[in-house]
Order: sequence, then structure tokens, then C-alpha cells
Amino acid sequence: MRVAISRRFDWTLLFLALLLSGFGILMIASALSGNEVLKDYPWRQALFLGVGIILMFVAAAVDYRLLTTLAYPILIFFLGALVVLKVIGTVAGGAQRWLTVGEYFLQPSELTKIAVILALAHFLSSREDKMESILTPILGFALLLPAVGLIFWQPNLGTAMVVVAIGAIMILVAGLRWRHAAFFGAIGAIGAVLAWRYVLADYMKDRVLMLFDPSKVKPEDLYNVQQAMIGIGSGGWLGRGLFRGSQSQLHFLRVRHTDFIFTVTAEELGFLGAAALIVLFGLLMLRLIRIAGQARDTFGMLIVTGVTAMIFFQVLINIGMNLSIMPVTGIPLPFVSYGGSSLWSTLIAIGLVQSVAIRHKKIGFDT
Amino acid sequence: MGGLRDPRTARLIVFRVGVVLLAAVLIGRLWQLQMVAGEKYRLLADQNRLREVDLPAPRGVVYDRNGEILARNQPSFTVEVVPGDLPEDEEGEPEGSGDALVLDRLLAILARPVGEGSTAPLALDIGGSPTPAPTAAPAGGGKPAPTPDPRSVIKERDPWVMPRPEIEKKIADGRLGGAYRPITVARYIDEETAFLIAEDAVNLPGVQLVLEPIRDYPSGALTSHIIGYMGHIPEEQLADYQERGYRANDQVGLTALELGMENELRGTPSQETIEVDVNGRKVRVVGESKPAVPGYNLVLSIDLELQRAATEALQAAFDRSEGFTKANQGAVIALDPRSGKVLALVSLPSYDNNLFAKGITDEAYKALLDDPLLPMYDQAIAGMYPPGSIFKTIVAAGGLQEGVINANTRLGDGFDGANDGIIWVPNDFVPWDMSLAQPFYSWTHKYGYGHGLHNVRHALAVSDDIFFYELGGGYRDSFNGLGSKRLGQYASAFGLGEPTGIELLGESAGLVPTSKWKRIWYAESWLTGDTYNMSIGQGYVLATPIQMANATAAVANRGTLYKPQLVDYLTDENGDVVKPFEPKLLRKVPVDPRHLDMVREGMYGAINFPDGTATRVRVPGVVIAGKTGTAEFARDWNKDGKPDRDDKDNLPTHAWFTSFAPYVDPEIVVTVFVANGGEGSGVAAPIANEVLNAYFAAKNPPEQTGPADVPTATPEQPGIAPTPAGGAP
Repeated sequence: MRVAISRRFDWTLLFLALLLSGFGILMIASALSGNEVLKDYPWRQALFLGVGIILMFVAAAVDYRLLTTLAYPILIFFLGALVVLKVIGTVAGGAQRWLTVGEYFLQPSELTKIAVILALAHFLSSREDKMESILTPILGFALLLPAVGLIFWQPNLGTAMVVVAIGAIMILVAGLRWRHAAFFGAIGAIGAVLAWRYVLADYMKDRVLMLFDPSKVKPEDLYNVQQAMIGIGSGGWLGRGLFRGSQSQLHFLRVRHTDFIFTVTAEELGFLGAAALIVLFGLLMLRLIRIAGQARDTFGMLIVTGVTAMIFFQVLINIGMNLSIMPVTGIPLPFVSYGGSSLWSTLIAIGLVQSVAIRHKKIGFDT
Repeated sequence: MGGLRDPRTARLIVFRVGVVLLAAVLIGRLWQLQMVAGEKYRLLADQNRLREVDLPAPRGVVYDRNGEILARNQPSFTVEVVPGDLPEDEEGEPEGSGDALVLDRLLAILARPVGEGSTAPLALDIGGSPTPAPTAAPAGGGKPAPTPDPRSVIKERDPWVMPRPEIEKKIADGRLGGAYRPITVARYIDEETAFLIAEDAVNLPGVQLVLEPIRDYPSGALTSHIIGYMGHIPEEQLADYQERGYRANDQVGLTALELGMENELRGTPSQETIEVDVNGRKVRVVGESKPAVPGYNLVLSIDLELQRAATEALQAAFDRSEGFTKANQGAVIALDPRSGKVLALVSLPSYDNNLFAKGITDEAYKALLDDPLLPMYDQAIAGMYPPGSIFKTIVAAGGLQEGVINANTRLGDGFDGANDGIIWVPNDFVPWDMSLAQPFYSWTHKYGYGHGLHNVRHALAVSDDIFFYELGGGYRDSFNGLGSKRLGQYASAFGLGEPTGIELLGESAGLVPTSKWKRIWYAESWLTGDTYNMSIGQGYVLATPIQMANATAAVANRGTLYKPQLVDYLTDENGDVVKPFEPKLLRKVPVDPRHLDMVREGMYGAINFPDGTATRVRVPGVVIAGKTGTAEFARDWNKDGKPDRDDKDNLPTHAWFTSFAPYVDPEIVVTVFVANGGEGSGVAAPIANEVLNAYFAAKNPPEQTGPADVPTATPEQPGIAPTPAGGAP
């Protein structure tokens, strides 16, 4: 059995995940060099990575099929955590996203994404043969609602949007009928208009507006986007050199070790380095989709699809934001951005994927 | 374990395409930013991080000949607030309460009234002095400061403090970007207040004191007319200055040597490029920074102690004067006839140029400009006055050179038969009718006697006006005079009618009148009377005190007219001489030294003959030669529309005295001018005497003038023996 596990374990995926995580630590070290207060952050991230790898292996070791029964309880647990967070959560940065554990902050919303993926995968796989019914996608979205609502309420528009997007991809891949898709498209459009008028807070609107009309945006929001553009643009082919990007090292760029770590990469390692990072993410996602295609069952396939969608949207939103083609939201770059919660949830997700890969269907094994 | 149905596989393939598309879009955008627009962003990044910082060049220091500092750079205090270093707001307090704590305290200190000299000067230990250490003071240094000029009581510029709402706004703005960029909240604060702020630093986080050098003039009003002051570039000259590399808010010399020596004093400011972080804090210097080169120091030929002695003597004369001859304006010039170097250049009243160093207030500046005594006006170089009898030295030199007279020619009273101090000049248009003749008086007339006949030497000694009327204008058919044209030529040869070229701007040319000049300005013919007046330095001829001093020097040194110079040499920051200012020859006066010796003898006689006009001028052990002058002028103080006259019906007079010493090998010329001072002998000569006393006392030992030192240059010196050379004219 051990031999089987090690033979079926997807080493390529592990390699890509570790490569990205290690790269992240390096970039965090560069982004924070010279910062006395945060000088141990690269080491912390390394510690997070160590713990994360253990969590990943634990997740891989657990047969994902056992999670069918636990999917809903886990979701309920995290929803509860979000409620608790809202009530007693630490106030930080205007949004309540953290739970203080000792001197560390925990962001339950990160792990909630995994719980949502599991629950939705379980739900959709259980209604595999009822995809013709419009009730299936509706119930599927309904399942997302509590989580989306609570995360939005934190408020954390970005992550809420990511959760909706993950759900949409999972439902699509699960076999959403096109006529249903059209229906949801219409609903979504109306919903977006209504949300714009009645739900979204001003700062959220600003961030969306910034994409279309920079003049409508508050200067403090515009500032970092401009600094990021300058940082990326000044990178050139090979960059200014690690630890030598003026925008990063002289602190013109803010939140450079988390949300804007891609800018640091593009500035210091240039086009080649930043493009390589994007390619790495591409390879990782293609590998994930391949694993999804080889999954033994729909549950496994949908878990992997959900994880892939999660990474896809976070990469899209984060790097898109760095490149000024996406609004500014606090979405970290998976593996790379500083932050234990994000890294752990991503590695746990990879662990789940490994669990699916190890137990993949026979035909996939031969191809 | 049912196999996956087709739609799902297809949708995963679409997902794959989506992934590839995502990577393509992101990389495409990356390409656009880095490759297409890279140049632009690189530039923007450099704009972010690089700052050009001016490295100001310290301005040169000005010393007198003994190393006394006349102008230097002194720290001035500016208060800055750094928003990023201000304390955080306390929990639960309103926004900005942290700032308010500091601002309350700071503004309270700045608003506190300055103690009226009650506190001893506070020694501030903030950085090193930007001024090079002065060279050791000469022996006898440490003299008490000059008595404060009443004008320096004009209030100094009040410290400037930014209004509080403006400070708060700037702090708020600063927090948004560049929280560590200092905001200037107060300038020109006095040392005492600066000290209090420095002392209270613990309670004033985010507040810093900055030293900015301003010009300081230790000798103040004593040398204001020589040193001048600095200020912002006059608007109409801004373009010129900017072409020469100045910035719009640079300070430049505006008057006197600060202006005349601007290029030497300024030095070469430099710039360096520094890299700053987002808060504007300097990270490092980029590239090579060329250090600023300090300006050259000026070492003047001025002797501050002599300057002080001359100022005090002149001021004392003002204080003694009263009534009809109340004097308030005057000048004293001492220069070295061997080189033209100026030893003292006094013009009173003066002003305190330190007022300008701090940025003079409008009211104080207006008060200076509106003062009827013109304290900003340098009488010594700009004042034009009739030179009176001291002009006779030039007339005598011209007459001898032209052969109009020789050493033995005797002219004067009695030419017309009466020794009464009057000469009658026939009307130019009806010369045969002596009833229309105009009387010209000698100064002796009012004392009821005449001069008799004198030779030129004696005529100078007793200042015989009749002699010089005749020498200049001739007398009827009996004697042909020099004539106005040649008078003018010799006046010009001795430097009258043109600026001397001293390093100070605003010098007047004076006036050497000609018949053409009179025709143009007065539409009248030149009359013999005009020549008569001109012959005794009256009438239309006008000269500045410096011109008369310089002309005297040319007599003293037997024919060399130097350009008067204030600057002896330039030194660099290490004190090494960069450029000596060699004596500059204006011209050799076209008079034979033999004839000049005759003039010198006449000037010797004025002091040393028993009937000389200035016999009270005495310096122990030194033989002095001189010439008095009492120049009439017209004024109308009582505003009755007529020239003022005293109770004896005399016009008011300017007092002049010009002298040189020692008689053999003169090394100092002293010229004194007291406007409205009265008699040259009674008012101006004693001032010159005090200056000469001060000069020779400081020179110690006094046996300098002994016969052993007499070189052979001037063989026939009647002055070697202290006894007068007899009354034989």
C-alpha cells in the first residue's frame, strides 16, 4: 500500500507547489529586506510552509471519500467560525478577517473556501443524475450563500467573489446545462446591478471603478496601483535584481510582501522572472485539471476542479490587480504571498488533490 | 465507478484553454508594461527615488587687514515639524490629538515674549560653526563693541511662525505622502527660543531645529558702507542672475563689496543626486557628488581700528557741532598713497547691515530710506561737493607745470593796489568800466586783513584765495592765468570728473565744468568769475571725498594716481592666498615731480608754517602735510526761499581737510569731509589729526620718521627739520 501511494502520489504537483512556495519565501525576503519590524517574516513563512507541508501530507493521506460524510459538518464548523469572528474578531484594517491565536492571526475565510469546495463537490456529486433539473444548480448556489454572505459581511468582497466563482466553475464542470447557464447569467447580471446600487460599500465600488476611470478613485487607492505599474514597468527584461528594486526596496510600493508580491517579482526579476512565475502557475493548474480528469469519481473530480478554480481566480485577481487589469481586492497570490492561513489552505487543498490523485481511476493510470 | 461523461471532459478541456488563456493574457499585459512602456516607467521610478539636492557653497568671509572679521556666516534657526515623527493619537482621543499636544507646546514656546536682555547669551551647542575660525586678533584686539548706532534700535525682523490651521493642514497633507518630509513652521527665531525648544525636545517629538547660515556683520554699522548687505535677487535682474546659475530664491550681494565682490564671495554651489525612500529620507548618494566650493575670503586693506577711530572722531565732531554749523553728514578716508589701498572709508550716518542679514522688515527699510540724513548713502564715494581750498593743490600743480608761475612768482593782494583781501574782476563785457567790476574775497577779508603777495608755496600754506584767483583766472592785463580749460584738464588728470573705480558701486563722477558744459546747462557764457571760483574749488566744480583723497595721494607720492582699492587679496578656504590685488595705476599725473614737491611744500607749510591754516594738527614725531578747505554752499533750511546766511552774512560751509604723512615717504593720506561743518581748519583738521594719531600710535615705534629713514627720492625736503622753513615767500 505504501508503495502504491508513493507511486501514485503526484510528485510533479508537489514539486510545483514547493517551488512556488519557496519562491514566495525568497520574494518575501526581498520585499521586506531592510524592514526591522518585519525582518523575521521570511522565516515565519518558512515555518508556515513546514507546517503546511505536514498538513498537505495529512490531507493527502486521508481518503477523500471519507470526507463525503464530513463535508457538511466541516462547512458548518467554518461558518460558525466566521460568525464568531464577526462577533469577537480582531479589528484590523477596517475588516474583520482575523482570529488572533497567540501572536498569529488566523483567517478562517481562507479555510472556508476549502470547506465550501468539499461541500459543493459532495452536493453536486450526489445529484449527478439530476443535472437536468434547474434545482440542482440553484441548490448548489444556495449552498454557497451562507459562506459568501458571511465573508462578504466581514467585509471581504474579493474572497466572496472568489467563492462564487469557484462554485460557478464547479457547477459548470459538474454538467450545468447551457439553458441553465443562460438563466444564471441573466440572474447574475441583474444581481450585479442590484448589488452595485444597494449592497456594495463605496470603497468596493471605488476599486471596481478604478479599472475604468482612474480619476474617480481616491488618491490613496490610486497611489499603490500607480506605484505597482511603475515597479513592474521599470523591471525590463531581467529586472533590477533581487533585493534591488527601487520601488520595493525604498518602500514606494505598499503591502509588497502580500498583495503586491507579484510586482516585486516583476520589478526585481523582470519580464523573464515574472513570466516564469505565471507559467509555473499555468503548469500547476494544467496538472490539476489533468488530475481532475483522471479522478476516480465525480466527488474527487469536483474537489480538484474546485481547488483549480480557487487557484485560477486568485491568480487572475491578484496578478490582474498587480497589472492593473483587475480591481484592487485583498486577494493573496497562492503559495507566494506572505500569510499562514492562505498558504495552509492552499497546501491543504493540494493535499486533497493528492488524495484524489493517489486514488485515481485505473484507466488514468495507464495513460 | 461510472466513467466521466463527455460534457465534463469537454468542460475540463475548456478549463485548460482558460488556464492557457489566463497565462497568455497576464504575460501579454506584462509584456506591454515592461517591454512596450518600460522606458516610461523606468523614468517614473527614477523620479520617485532620485532627488537633486543643492549643496550650498559657504560664502566667503571678509577680514580686515589684521584678520578682524567684518562679515561671516552665522547660524539662524528654523523650526521644522516632521509629521511622521509626531506622536500617535491616544486611544479614545479625537483624531489629531497627538499632533495637538506637540503643537500646543511648540507654539507656546514660540509665542512667548523674548526677554529684554535679561538672560545671558545662551551658548548653543548645535553643530559646528559654519564660519572658519577667525585668525588671531591683532594685539590690542578685544576692543569694546562700537557704541550702538541709534538706527540699530530699529526692531529686528520678528520671527516668522506659520499660522496653526496652516500647520495642521500641512501635517495632514504630509501624512498622505512623504510623512518624513519636514514642514517649516517658523523661521528667524532667536537663540533663546531655539534653546528652549532644544531643551524641551523630549516633549516635542517630531520637532526639529535647523541651522541655516545667514550673514553676520560683527562690525555692523562701522563698516556697512564698505561691506554692504545681501538680499533676494531684485526681480528685474532675476533673468541675468539665473543665466549665471543662480536660483530664484538665492541671496545675493546687493550693495558695496557684497555686490562688487559677489563672484569672488559666492563660491561654487554643487548638487548631488540622492536616492530617497518613500518618506523622503536619504538612503544614499547616487553617483559621484562634487562638493561645493566655498567662496573666496576677502582680506581688505581696511584697518578696522583706524576705521573705528575715524568714525568716532567724525561722530564726535558731529556731536560738538551745533546751530548754524550743525553737522550730521561726513566722510573720512584714509588710504595708502604708495598703493591706493584704502585703510579707512567712513561715511556717516551709517546703518546696521545686520538688519538686512535677517531680512529687514518693510517698516525698518522704509525708515532707512526716508531718513533725511541718508544713512544708506555713501558720502565718501557718492557725495558730490565743492572741494573748496583743497582743490588749490591741483591748481598750483597745473600752474607750475604750465609755467604760468614758477616757485618764486608772487601773486596776490596788492596787485590791485590795496591789501584788503578783495580782488576786483572787471565785467567781461565792459572791462573798461571798473565800476561794474565784481569783488572776489579771500577768506581773510572778514577778519579785516589781506594776504599781501605770496609765492605758491606760501599761498598754499595760508590758503591765499587771491593768489589762486589770479593763478586760475589771471588779472586784467597784468597777469595771464591758467584759464578754465587747463584748470579742467589738470582737475581731470588728478582724477576728478570720473569715478575712481573703487570696488564699490554707486560712485559719483563729480563734475569738472567747462565753458561748453555751462552753455548747455545754464545757456550762459563762461565768465572770468567762473574761472575765479573754480580756482579755489568753488562754483561749479564738484568732487567726491574719495576723489580728493586720491588726488592728495597723487600729490603725496609725487605723481602716481592709483585706483583706490579695498581688497588686498583673496584667500581660499584654507587661508592660502588665491589672488593678490596688485596696486592699479590709473595714470601718471602729467606734472613734473619737482612741481609736485612745491605743492607738497605748500601743504607742509599749512601745518608747519607759523601762519599756516592748520598749525594745530600735530602728531608727535611725525611730520604732516595738509590742506584745509572751507567750501561755501547754498542751503535753505529755514525755507525762506533765500540761501541761509549766518549772523555775519556768511554762507554755510562744508569743512574739508586733506593730509598726508609722514612728509617724507608718505604712507597715509587722510581726507576728511564734514558737510555743513564750518571751517576746515577748526572742524575737519582735528578729525584728521585724531585719525593720524591713531594710525601712528598703532604703528609704534614712532622713530619711523627720523632722518635715518629718509631716502634720496625727494632731495630738497624742507620738512626734515621740524622748524618751519621761514616765512620768506
